[in-house]
Amino acid sequence: MKKYIARRVLTAAFTLLVILLVLFILMQLMPGSPFNDEKLNDSQRAVLYAKYGLDQPIPVQFFRYVWNMLHGDLGVSYKISRNTPISQLIQSRLPISLFIGGFAVSIGAVLGLILGLIAALKHDTIWDTLTTVISVIGVSVPSYVFALALSYTLGFRLKWFPLLYNVQQSMGSSVLPSISLSMFTMASIARFTRTEMLEVLGSDYMLLAESKGVSGPSLIFRHALRNALIPIITVLAPLVVDLMTGSLVVEKIFAIPGVGSLLVNAIQSNDYNVVISLSFIYSAMYIVIMLVVDILYGIIDPRIRLAKKGD
Amino acid sequence: MDKTVTAQGYVPVEADFRLKNNADEIALDTNFAAQSFWRDVLIRYFRKTSAVIGLVLIALITVMAVVGPGMNGYTYSGQELNEKNLAPRVPGLENMGIFDGSESMSTTTGTKKVNYYEEKGLDKVYYWFGSDNFGRDIWTRTWTGARVSLIIAVAAAIIDMIIGMSYGLISGYFGGKVDMVMQRSLEVANGIPRLVVVTLLLLVLKPGMLTIIVALMLTEWIGMSRIARAEMLKLKEQEFVLASRTLGAGSFFIIFKEILPNIIGPIITQVMFSIPTAIFTEAFLSFVGLGIPVPQCSLGSLISEGFNSFTTHPYQIIPPIVTMALLMLSFNLVADGLREALDPKMKEM
Amino acid sequence: MKKTRKAVAFLTVSALVLGMTGVSTTALADVGASDLNIMLETPVESLDPQIATDGTSFEVIADFTDGLMQMDADGKAVEALAESYELSDDGLTYTFHLRDASWSNGDPVTAADFVFAWQRAVDPDVASEYSYMLSDIGQVVNAAEIIAGEKDKSELGVTAVDDKTLEVQLNVPVSYFLSLMYFPAFYPVNQAFFESVGDTFGTSPETTLSNGAFVIDTYEPAATAFHLTRNENYWDADRVQLPGLNYQVIQDSQQALMSYQSGDLDMTLVNGEQVDQVKEDPCFQTIGAGYLWYVSPNMASVPELDNLNIRLAMTMAINRVDITENVLKDGSIPTYTAVPLQFAAGPDGSDFSADQTLYTDVCADDAEKAAEYWAAGLEELGISELSLEMVVDADDAPQKVAQVLKEQWETTLPGLTVDLVIEPKKQRVEDMQNGDFQLGLTRWGPDYADPMTYLGMWITDNNNNYGLWSNADYDAIIDECTTGDLCTDAEGRWARLYDAQKIVMDEAVIYPLYTQANAEMMSANVTGVEFHPVALNRVYKNAAKAE
Repeated sequence: MKKYIARRVLTAAFTLLVILLVLFILMQLMPGSPFNDEKLNDSQRAVLYAKYGLDQPIPVQFFRYVWNMLHGDLGVSYKISRNTPISQLIQSRLPISLFIGGFAVSIGAVLGLILGLIAALKHDTIWDTLTTVISVIGVSVPSYVFALALSYTLGFRLKWFPLLYNVQQSMGSSVLPSISLSMFTMASIARFTRTEMLEVLGSDYMLLAESKGVSGPSLIFRHALRNALIPIITVLAPLVVDLMTGSLVVEKIFAIPGVGSLLVNAIQSNDYNVVISLSFIYSAMYIVIMLVVDILYGIIDPRIRLAKKGD
Repeated sequence: MDKTVTAQGYVPVEADFRLKNNADEIALDTNFAAQSFWRDVLIRYFRKTSAVIGLVLIALITVMAVVGPGMNGYTYSGQELNEKNLAPRVPGLENMGIFDGSESMSTTTGTKKVNYYEEKGLDKVYYWFGSDNFGRDIWTRTWTGARVSLIIAVAAAIIDMIIGMSYGLISGYFGGKVDMVMQRSLEVANGIPRLVVVTLLLLVLKPGMLTIIVALMLTEWIGMSRIARAEMLKLKEQEFVLASRTLGAGSFFIIFKEILPNIIGPIITQVMFSIPTAIFTEAFLSFVGLGIPVPQCSLGSLISEGFNSFTTHPYQIIPPIVTMALLMLSFNLVADGLREALDPKMKEM
Repeated sequence: MKKTRKAVAFLTVSALVLGMTGVSTTALADVGASDLNIMLETPVESLDPQIATDGTSFEVIADFTDGLMQMDADGKAVEALAESYELSDDGLTYTFHLRDASWSNGDPVTAADFVFAWQRAVDPDVASEYSYMLSDIGQVVNAAEIIAGEKDKSELGVTAVDDKTLEVQLNVPVSYFLSLMYFPAFYPVNQAFFESVGDTFGTSPETTLSNGAFVIDTYEPAATAFHLTRNENYWDADRVQLPGLNYQVIQDSQQALMSYQSGDLDMTLVNGEQVDQVKEDPCFQTIGAGYLWYVSPNMASVPELDNLNIRLAMTMAINRVDITENVLKDGSIPTYTAVPLQFAAGPDGSDFSADQTLYTDVCADDAEKAAEYWAAGLEELGISELSLEMVVDADDAPQKVAQVLKEQWETTLPGLTVDLVIEPKKQRVEDMQNGDFQLGLTRWGPDYADPMTYLGMWITDNNNNYGLWSNADYDAIIDECTTGDLCTDAEGRWARLYDAQKIVMDEAVIYPLYTQANAEMMSANVTGVEFHPVALNRVYKNAAKAE
């Protein structure tokens, strides 16, 4: 087991390094420069490139970047907030995005579970179809339309929630963006719960439990849902990471100082270091979460561990 | 031994026996006409109402996407700046007080009801879904957009399927080092945020339908390959594979001729699920300004165009949103139905 | 085993759900009720006056920093930190006498602060993007050589004669030099303070020093909301009435309008679609933004566009009134001159481009004449059909305008097909600079209040002369007006600039479209906000908000 974990951690580290290299190469393909293209002449641009080391060959830039990163230096922003260290830029924003993402996943997971449960228990009835329709509508309306509709009705007309994000009331002003974001999670979880529950409900041990006289909520929650939950959590984990960058449009609408909108602005303005750092953080979170889930899974279920050893 | 005399001295007679009514309990071997697997699937599929509704909706929208743009005299790009921002007006229905071309607009100075058709004296003009801010017909644009979105989504999903399936099957079949390398590359591809890849791609290639298809394809094949690989791992140790190998079949013959037909079910289901994802991703690209180039339109670009008039002229965003929601819904219903029809375990439920 | 599973499940869920709710937030300073609440479209890029390049940053920097001169309500340069100034007879030496003003840490503002800042602006190590304001445009002695790395920054033609006297040497007389002094690249920086905060200069309230009307008190890099408070020690504090400024960045215009309607904002931009909603509101106004939008034909690499009749036909076929009235609706003004309206006032105080009928024979909304030119052009070229591509920014307004242009050209000029190539702005600019385009929809914002900021673009080999047009007469006129005899003769120079513009228009070097304006809502109780098309778009020093 230890050997398996060690091997997985090593490959994850290597994967991250490759991702960083790919990101670097992708950056070179971006047209334009981070600086004011229209107003600068070639010699001024050369001065700027020299100042930030952008005139160096890519391998040199890459190793310098990796070296600096290992020393905790992610570089400075070229455009979004010129000369500000990226770490300072991200420090205050990442928690906000994670908070809203986490909030959205919580709402989505709870609602999704409820919808999925109803669908599975009332399989092939009107309830089943209805929950499917609700969850599909949840994903088929783009989150930005949801965001605007919510802020128009609940925010502007009814004045229940603030229209814009406000650090002083981060809880209240996170509600609308989180709901708009939670729709996708809700739909995925609902669908997944339904499938898993149907499988569990059809299994032999459920039949056994039922014949033993277990019934009602105890049967559903203690025996069925608990067994269906583990695979659900594995889909939930990467969704959190997705929401971190997936929230960019909603962040824009609610004026949330998060990393999603930062990434979009960075891509649009060729702010290389910001794009690379944010993408890298995203990749690292993704890979770490997948790794943790994998290892936990291995601990929980010996069959998986054996299968993994096989490949 | 005399047969009428027993040890007990009693001989059972005919009246002692009674027919047990067990017609229900006896399992008789009945012969059904041989049914192919696919026929079975079809029957199971059509037994599910929601799946049938989904199929009908898809057919309906596809038909409208083909004939809809030609149903009135307008073209999708023809502008009539005089007739911009007109509310929906339908002949016949207008006499019933709906779709008569009037709209109530909430302004900063209060709500007012206006009818631009009357104000501008456009008596003979009808825009069934209204007109947009260039005076283009939203009806025509919605169906043209549906056409573009469908083409993009279906093309992307099919290419996804081919790439993802081959990748997953090969990776799963060979296992070992090949699998290791292929899975690590997949992790790299999956680890880079989609937005970054897609944006860069759209920047490097010329914008257009083909580029969007490539962009969608590049990011969406991963899920497909996972499924294909998992199915392959399940099947590759089975006897028919061994038999085929013993008979001298090559690896690629086994992968594509022996195993592929056995996993086509889950694959098709996944394609059905990836079509709505593609439609949705295209809509997102439009919103961040990387969608289909104007004046062409897709459902996504229509939604992001209508988004800017959301609080002013809400009727402009409704047709594309409803069409997209229906499309997504019906593809999901069809996929759900297919999955249940294909999976015998689910059938027994 | 079951226990473990349960525990793992519980831990995972709680890590996901609870772990993320424990985020603390930094408290903002209390925001007073009568602060002015202002909407910004984009976040501030930098609070370092020599580094900033965008309008938003300029506006905020100017809130808390004064330069030698400031703009009055009409955009004229009037004294700010300079109490008075003298210009030598040859027009080459400015001497500024500073007034008694102090930084917010108590240090006096001295001439040395200006010298330090100006040297930073041209220092290759600082790599200021607006260094050309000192060299090409300001013509400060040795600026160009220092930027190129040929001379040391200490040789820049600006010296502190004493604490309160600043002397500036110019290469040639620059008629608009005073108007440059309110441009942030020329703002002073306190050297001792700058060195004490090192690399963090301008990234937080603590690392920012004010000598202006307001003091920044909450800010972090790329913030979506920040606040400034009235500076009690400002030299002109008596005139500042607002207790503070409350900025909010909102990128979605519908959210912005809703916030305005619910009273959270006093000023906000509205987009063209929303104008229908607000046009009857007395608080609705349109404000000139100075930008000229135009189409640049690539005469060098497209032989058909090298034909003058084709170019004239295309510029005449555009219906500019339709574009501004029916599509943009934000108060943009149709423009038929190469220099846009309302930003450059001449020696007599009148707008350079006030008369839009100067070139009606070569630039007007005239479909009939366009068709004549078109027929003549096609005949000269011996073709009957022409297919062109136009590169367009992937932003809202340019895409709208481009769609209308395509429609207008294709309906008015038979045989013409125009395909739109929508690209992100960065790429569009790069394509145009590389000459890799046929038609390009582009815009140009004025850097200083003089027609030269536009006319200087079309001299041979200029970076922004995308069409690679070249005309010796034109070059000679521009030369005469920038470094030649006319430098000191304001009226003569002004008249000559019209001659230059006429050449550009006669040759249809560009197809001017419109002068951009912004549609804004401003609460009725707010007065005194000054709007300018150049450098500082909004100035709040004299603004007031009634309760």
